[in-house]
Amino acid sequence: MNLEKTLYDAYGFTSFRPGQKEVIEKILGGEDVIALLPTGMGKSMCYQLPAHLLEGSVLIVSPLLSLMQDQVAQLKKMGEKSVTALNSFLDPSERTIVLNNLRNYRFIFISPEMLVQPYIKNKLKDIQISLLVADEAHCISQWGFDFRPDYLRIAEILPALGHPRVLALTATATAKVTEEIKKYLQLTDPFIYSHPMDRKNIVYDCRKFSAGNEKLEWLKEFVKTNGGPGIIYAGTRNKSREIADLLNMDGLRAAFYHGGMEHQDRIFVQQQFQNGELDWVCSTNAFGMGVHIPDIRHVIHFQIPTSIEGYVQEVGRAGRDGSPALATLLYAPGDEEMLESLVLDDLPTINEIRELYNSADGGSQLVAQGIIRETSFRVLSYWRTRLTEQQTIRQIEQQKNEKMMQSAKIKKLITLKTCLREYLMECFDQQLVSKPANCCVNDGIEYSSLQSGPRKEDARTSPATWQKRLESILPC
Amino acid sequence: MLFEDILIILLKAVDGERTVSSPYHLLKGKKSGQTLQDIGYYKLYPYFGILPKLEKDVYDQAVEKLFQKGLIAIDGQVVRMTGVPVEQKPGPTLLDGWKYRGSEQVFMARLSLIVQTLSHIQQKSRIFDPVVISEDIQRWVKIYLNKMNYKDPAQCKAFKDEMIHSLGAVAVSERQKMIVIQRLSGLKIGGLTWEQISRAEKQTVTDAQVQAIETLHGWMSVLEQGSYPLLRNLLDGLIQQSALTETARRTESYFKNGRKLEEIAALRGLKTSTIEDHVVEMAMNDPGFDILEFMEAALFARIIAVSQSQNTKRLRDIKEKVPEASYFQLRLALAAKGGIE
Repeated sequence: MNLEKTLYDAYGFTSFRPGQKEVIEKILGGEDVIALLPTGMGKSMCYQLPAHLLEGSVLIVSPLLSLMQDQVAQLKKMGEKSVTALNSFLDPSERTIVLNNLRNYRFIFISPEMLVQPYIKNKLKDIQISLLVADEAHCISQWGFDFRPDYLRIAEILPALGHPRVLALTATATAKVTEEIKKYLQLTDPFIYSHPMDRKNIVYDCRKFSAGNEKLEWLKEFVKTNGGPGIIYAGTRNKSREIADLLNMDGLRAAFYHGGMEHQDRIFVQQQFQNGELDWVCSTNAFGMGVHIPDIRHVIHFQIPTSIEGYVQEVGRAGRDGSPALATLLYAPGDEEMLESLVLDDLPTINEIRELYNSADGGSQLVAQGIIRETSFRVLSYWRTRLTEQQTIRQIEQQKNEKMMQSAKIKKLITLKTCLREYLMECFDQQLVSKPANCCVNDGIEYSSLQSGPRKEDARTSPATWQKRLESILPC
Repeated sequence: MLFEDILIILLKAVDGERTVSSPYHLLKGKKSGQTLQDIGYYKLYPYFGILPKLEKDVYDQAVEKLFQKGLIAIDGQVVRMTGVPVEQKPGPTLLDGWKYRGSEQVFMARLSLIVQTLSHIQQKSRIFDPVVISEDIQRWVKIYLNKMNYKDPAQCKAFKDEMIHSLGAVAVSERQKMIVIQRLSGLKIGGLTWEQISRAEKQTVTDAQVQAIETLHGWMSVLEQGSYPLLRNLLDGLIQQSALTETARRTESYFKNGRKLEEIAALRGLKTSTIEDHVVEMAMNDPGFDILEFMEAALFARIIAVSQSQNTKRLRDIKEKVPEASYFQLRLALAAKGGIE
């Protein structure tokens, strides 16, 4: 079979990106696959192409609503019409239509919560699933930064689906997490493809200051001489707004972005950034998904990120075009405390555990009343059916230790005297094969090739009247 | 019209008769009997449900400002106007929350996606990220575009001309119209966030949003009346035939079939008091509603007379003077009177 021809016929690409072909060949050969591919390396092609060659539908389990929406949008953009997404946001009448026509879809996206519902399971039973994709498969790891309990139950429905082959995809997984994926998806002998995590064109910088306000001063200077496009990751919503306001006051084209903004506004910020109407986006970790901009030159972390995995993912949004890009981590004494509170904040508290175990009805009321947070509820409801209260407390205690280890790992980036790139690779149990000339702060950075220089101002002035703005949108 | 203007109008209407949070429920579009009746009693139709996502702390902040200006005070359970705003009275509003019930959001979503598509297609760009992700809207727009023959440049021009002409006919300021157009996007032109718009206008985000909604209501009304063959279709299915809430409409159909209120309550598994709420809603909206089915003409006249002479719509105050009337009859009489005027 000529895979390149299928690739060209279906999507107009003439060649595969590294890793894609190996993975696809194994899938077509009937094997289960765990593929570790960095973001931006075309993970989704690994199931898109097989969908054209296998009978039946491809079922993709996707953990986040926003991610799912973006994947659906991207597929449609590539000309795939036969795509649907089953999630809690689908209204009942639409859901009925979709469920009655399931077999007609080539790609079916589904949230893990939906997947385990008996009614949905029955509907899926009736159609042919040729491939089950567990996207963001690291969510299966109960130690991980993104644990989603329902991922542990994916294996339960495999028999009902007639044991389709399984493709587990993730951008970030240590050897330990890979083992967990294997175990919980019950993959006996999967083919494991592990792409080097290293991105040669990204240079790692770390700047230490003696006080928090010096970070701001440095940033203001930096963005004056470096035009972007760039992302500034701030730890909190307030901080992202504060930084954006500051840059705006200096006349820079910046905006903030966080999950608390209304959906349309978030789309507008993405549009503006994509159009080059904005040079800087100051954001929480909510920004990135759905942003497909190849020429991001800077990713600046204003605060220490909460995990190495998150850091690598965020940094990986820079330099998709292959040109040099700079990742800068800012540090000032006192940042550790904030990191710790952010890291531990995700975990259920003792109080939440007690409340849930003592509730009569499964505790969904407790979320509405604000006694238990939704994230805690999701995790605790899972453990409640499996462990006693004491065991759960111990379980969470262990998780806390694990998280503290994670944050120790990320903190090490700041104190490290040796190569940052090497260290990041180590964190993913990979070895650095060759080092680029411009590598990291501890090996010495040659900045001149990285300076993007002030960006050219948009020649267009913003239209003065609504009629003129409409004219420029619809010049017909 | 700014958010504060609206608050003052609402607080003035309920002056001394309602709690300080009653305007909040009205703006959010709460469909409780109390809120729905207040709209009728106090003639607050334009403001019903215009800000369904209004956050309580944003509301509280705006109210707090009025306290500080000495315009309002809390008097026991109720809120009272204690001063007269120095600013000029705002002109008549184009807001019509009761009629449009949030459908301006659907109108705007359709318009946004159509404009974005036309902008790209006419400039030979076939692939873009849709600005609206709701599949419902996408499906609707797809059908609409095909029907209008969207690839034809002349059609695109006609669409734009209709936009310019109809929006031009809306009786709001040019700046208000600009806000709406800034929320549209096209090839290489992104829409502006509320934050960006309000910063440039030196207003709060809520002010910018209220102004956009008022403009959209005005625009939709112009489209309904004028001859705009392309744009008018954007109102498809958005104009409610009946002003009643869904649940009141169901009660109404039982009622018109001759069912008694208790029967309807039993049939629908609801409390009789809820059914009474629905009847009050019907009386409020239907000028031909026959109130004499529920009370004698003399009682009705007495209730209205007391309400007018005491200048109150508080049920408790009227009940003191007309003890033989039930609370249901009082509410009904006041609601029907609103309809008669």
